[in-house]
Amino acid sequence: MKRATHPAETGQVGRAVPRLESWLKVTGRAEYVHNLRLPGMLYGKIFRSTVSHGRIKRLDVSAAQAVGGVHRVVVAADLMTVVPDLHFGPAFHDQPMLAIDKVRYVGEPVAVVLASDPHVAEEAAHLIVAEYEPLAAVYDEVEAMTSKAVVHDELKPAGTFPDLKHLKGKKNTNIALDFHLRRGDAAAAMKVAHRVFEHRFRTQQVMHTPLEPLVSVAECTEDTITLHTASQSPSFVRIEIARLLGWPENRVRVRVPFLGGGFGAKLYIKLEALVGVLSLLVKKPVKISLTMEEQFFHITKHATTFRIKSGVDRDGRIVARECEVWWNGGAYADIGPRVTQKSGFTAPGPYEIEHVAVDSYALYTNLPPAGALRGFGIPQLVWAYESHTDMVARELGADPVEFRLKNILRDGRPHATGTIMRDAATDKVLERTAQLLDWKKPFDRGSGSVRRGRGIAVGFKACVAPTTSFALVSVNVDGSVTVYCSTVDMGQGSDTAMAQIAAEVLSVTAESVKVVHSDTDVTPYDMATLGSRSLFHMGNAVKLAAEDARDKVAALKREAGFPQDATLKDVFKKKYGMQAGNVLGQASFVPGYTSPDANGLTDNATPFWMVGATGVEIEVDTETGRVRITRLVNVADVGTPINPKIVETQLSGAAIMQIGFTLTEKMEFDAEGQLRNASLAEYKIPGFHDIPERMTNETVEAEQRSGPFGAKGVGETSTFGVSPAIANAVHDAVGVRITSLPLTPETIFMKLQESK
Amino acid sequence: MQPFEFAEPKTLREAIALLDTEMARPFSGGTALMLMMKAGVLHPERLVSLGKLGLDKIEIGPAGELRIGSMVSLRKIETSEAVRRGWPAISRTLLRLSNVRVRNVARLGGHLAHGDPHTDLPPLLSALGAVATIAGPAGERRAAVESLYAGYLETTLARNELIVRVDVPAMGKKQAAYLKCTTRSVDDWPAVGVAVVLDGDQQTIFVSAATDKPMRLASVDEVEQLNIEGDLHGSAAYKRHLMRVYVKRAIHEARHPSR
Repeated sequence: MKRATHPAETGQVGRAVPRLESWLKVTGRAEYVHNLRLPGMLYGKIFRSTVSHGRIKRLDVSAAQAVGGVHRVVVAADLMTVVPDLHFGPAFHDQPMLAIDKVRYVGEPVAVVLASDPHVAEEAAHLIVAEYEPLAAVYDEVEAMTSKAVVHDELKPAGTFPDLKHLKGKKNTNIALDFHLRRGDAAAAMKVAHRVFEHRFRTQQVMHTPLEPLVSVAECTEDTITLHTASQSPSFVRIEIARLLGWPENRVRVRVPFLGGGFGAKLYIKLEALVGVLSLLVKKPVKISLTMEEQFFHITKHATTFRIKSGVDRDGRIVARECEVWWNGGAYADIGPRVTQKSGFTAPGPYEIEHVAVDSYALYTNLPPAGALRGFGIPQLVWAYESHTDMVARELGADPVEFRLKNILRDGRPHATGTIMRDAATDKVLERTAQLLDWKKPFDRGSGSVRRGRGIAVGFKACVAPTTSFALVSVNVDGSVTVYCSTVDMGQGSDTAMAQIAAEVLSVTAESVKVVHSDTDVTPYDMATLGSRSLFHMGNAVKLAAEDARDKVAALKREAGFPQDATLKDVFKKKYGMQAGNVLGQASFVPGYTSPDANGLTDNATPFWMVGATGVEIEVDTETGRVRITRLVNVADVGTPINPKIVETQLSGAAIMQIGFTLTEKMEFDAEGQLRNASLAEYKIPGFHDIPERMTNETVEAEQRSGPFGAKGVGETSTFGVSPAIANAVHDAVGVRITSLPLTPETIFMKLQESK
Repeated sequence: MQPFEFAEPKTLREAIALLDTEMARPFSGGTALMLMMKAGVLHPERLVSLGKLGLDKIEIGPAGELRIGSMVSLRKIETSEAVRRGWPAISRTLLRLSNVRVRNVARLGGHLAHGDPHTDLPPLLSALGAVATIAGPAGERRAAVESLYAGYLETTLARNELIVRVDVPAMGKKQAAYLKCTTRSVDDWPAVGVAVVLDGDQQTIFVSAATDKPMRLASVDEVEQLNIEGDLHGSAAYKRHLMRVYVKRAIHEARHPSR
C-alpha cells in the first residue's frame, strides 16, 4: 500500500479513516508475539495447582525431568536463585511467579517445564506429581469479610502508593482494601425519608476471552533483558521487572507489537515476570503462550455483591443512598483494590443525591485473581444501581425514564465526591436513548408464549487518575511524520486515532503518518492502555508533541530566512549543509487531580467522565425463559469523535461483550473451588446469532473541552447500561425481577413459575 | 498432544485393516477428534484418514431414497438441491448445526459415529428411518441409524467398522422437523434436541442431548420416564420441562414449517 505524504486538503480529525493496520491484518502479516520464534528458544508449560488452598507437601518433578527433550523443570526455589523475592503485582506485591509453600486457588502456577518442543513440555507437565495438605478455603466475597479461612498471612501493599501504607503487615484479614465515602448523613436522611428501598444484587465471575491468549517471550544477555509481550502496559512491565531484578530501567526493554484483544487481561504484569526470570535462569530465550482455557486461571472479572438502599422524598427525589459493595478479588490483588476505590466512588450512580454513604471492600478469596475488565468495575455497579433505580421508580408508580431524569446529575452540579460535573452529557444521553426507543409511544407487548418488554439504563465512569502520558513526534526532512508513543493498539484503533491527531496538527493525511509501536527503548513512558484513558491522555500528549514539532519547524524556517511554505529539505540544506535530519517535538500530559480526603471527598476526582446509556427491546419465551434481544440502542457521550467509524464499532463491540456477561457467561465453581467449565465449549461467549437483529450506536453532540479536539475515551462506555437495561426489560415483559447475573433462561423460568 | 501416525489408505479394505488395533482411530473431518486429542482426553497412536476413500457422493436411489456417502461434508448436504427439495428438514437442521466452518470440514460418517448425544443429525436421521451401510473385515452390513447408539459417546460399531453410506427413505407424504433448545448462547450445544416425523396419524419422536443417546418416545408422556441428569445446561427438572415444550413445538413445526 502506498502511503505517500502529501498535504491534507480536508480535516483529519472527525474523518472515518479506515484503520491503518487493516491491510496488514487481513493479509495475515500483522506482527503478534504469538508468531515469534527466536533461535534456541524454549517453550514453557505451566503445571498448576489442583486444590484451592493448601500447603505443598510434596512436589516430584523427576518423571517430567526424565522425559526426552525436556530442558529443565523449574519450581519456585529455582527462580529464587535469580530473584530472592518472587512476589509481584501492581498495587500489592502478593503474587509469587510460582507457588511458594502454599497454593491459594485451583489453577495457580506451581512449576514450569521447559523444552524446545512445546508438545514435549506439555506431555512432561502431566507427569509432575504434587501433594497438598488442604487448608480451609473461602470463595464468597461477603463470607470473606469475616471468615476464619484467611488467604494471605499478611498484607503486602507495594510501597509506592502512600494511600496503601497503612495496610502493610496487617494480619488475619481478607480485606485487601476498604474505601469509604461520606457525604452528608445518609443514615439520618433515611429515617426521615418518605419511602426507603433496599435491594441486594450479585454479579458473577467471568473472563476477558481475548482471541489472542496471554503470551510473553523473554531473551537476555549478561546485562539486558528484552521482553516481547502481549501487554497493555509496557512501561509498567519495565518498571516492575527492573524492581524485581534490582536493575536500572534502561537495561529492561519491553516490546509490544499488535495485540489480539486485551480488555484488561494484559495489564500491569502477567507472564512477563515468570518468563523473564526463567530466561535469566536458563540463559536462553523462553516463551510461554497460554491456551484459551488456561486464561481462566490468570485473570478474570470480579464477582460482586452490592447492597443498595435509597431514601426518596414525597416529590420522588432521591435524598439518600447507601452503597455497600464487596468485590471478589480472588487469591491475588492484581488491580482489584484500585477497582474498589477508583470505581467504588461512583457506586451511587449519576444522580444528584444529598446524603451518600459508600463502603467498598476488596476481598481476597481462593478463586482465580480478578482485575480490570472493560469498565474497571463500573458494569457491576451500574447493574445494581440501575436495576435498583428501576425497581424504585416502578414501586413509586413513576415512569422509569422520568424518575431518572428528575434525579439526574447535571453539569455544574456536585457529584457525591463534591467534584463539580463538567462536560458530562448525562441528561442528553438518557433522553436520546428514550427517544430512539420511542419510549413515550405505545409498545407491542406480545401474545401467547412470547411476551415483549423494554428497558433502559444509564451509567457513568470517572477516568482513572492520576496518570501520565509522554509522546514524541518526528517531522522527517521529507515532511513525513512519525509518532512515538507507548499506547498499545489492541484492536481499538489507537494507531489510527493518534495518526489523525498528529496529521491534523501537521496538515498531512492520517494515512501517511507512521505510528511506532511500544518499545520502551524507543517510545517514551505511558501509564498504560487502559480504562479508556489513551485517546484523552496520549491524544493530548501527541497533539502537544505535534504542535511542538510544528512550532519548531516554523521557527527553523524563520531563523534560516525561508518563507513558511519552503520545504524542510531546503531549510536543512542551508542550515546543516545536507538534506537530512528531523525535527523532534515532545510533550507530556498530566491532568490535574486532587486525592480524596478521609471522607472520600475531592474537588477534582477525574480528568473526564464517560457516560453511556442502553435501551433494549426484548422477547421472553414464557415457556422456556429464554430472552431474545430484538433491538439494542447504545448512546454515549464521547465528546467530539476523532474517528466516527471506530467510535461506532467500539460502542457495538463493548455492548455485545456485555451481552455475554449478561446472558450466558459465568465461571461455574464447585464447592471445592474447581472450575467446572474451563473451555469455550462450556463457557459461552456470544455468537453471531446472539447479536440483536437491530442495533443503533449513537453519540450525542458533546465536547470534552480538555480533550484533544474535544474528544474523550470510548472503549468501555457502552458496557455500562446493557445488563440492567435487559433485566429491566425482562421485568417489563413478564413481571419478574432477576437480581443475579447472568439472566439464564432457567432462572427466569423458575421465577415465572414462582410468580404464578 | 503426543506424536501419532497418520495413515491415508486408498481402499476401504486397507483402512479397515489399519483400524484393527486398540490405539487406532478413524479420521474423517476431525472436528471433534482433534479437540479431544488437544484436550488430552484421547491419545491415539494412529489416525486412519478416510479422505482418500471417495465415499463423497449424494445420490437418489432406485426407490427414491437419499443416499449420502459417509465422507460427504455437512456443508455439501446442507447446500444440496436434491436434499433441499426432498428432505427439507435435513437442510434446515444443518443451517444451525454448529457453524459454517465446522460444517465445511465435518463429515456425515464422523458426525454419526462420534456418538455425542448433543449432535443434531442422529435423532433426525433416526426419526426419518435412515439406514447406515457399515463395512467391516467380513464385508458390509446394514443397520438402522437408530441402532448405532449404545450410550454416551458409545456406539454399536466395532473398532474396525466404518460407516460408508447412509440411506434416507423418500419422504412421501411424511412431514418432519428437528428443533433444538440451547440455554446459553444460540450456537451452544443443545440442552434438548427433538426430531419428529409425522406420517398420517403416526408420530415418530426422538429426543436427544438431555439423554445419553437419541431415544425413541412412543408418546410425549414418556418424557416423564426418561433418565435425565442436571448439568451446566440446566437442572434435570428444567431440561425435562424444556423437552415437553420442544416435543410439542416440534410436532407443530413438522405440521406447519415456519420456512
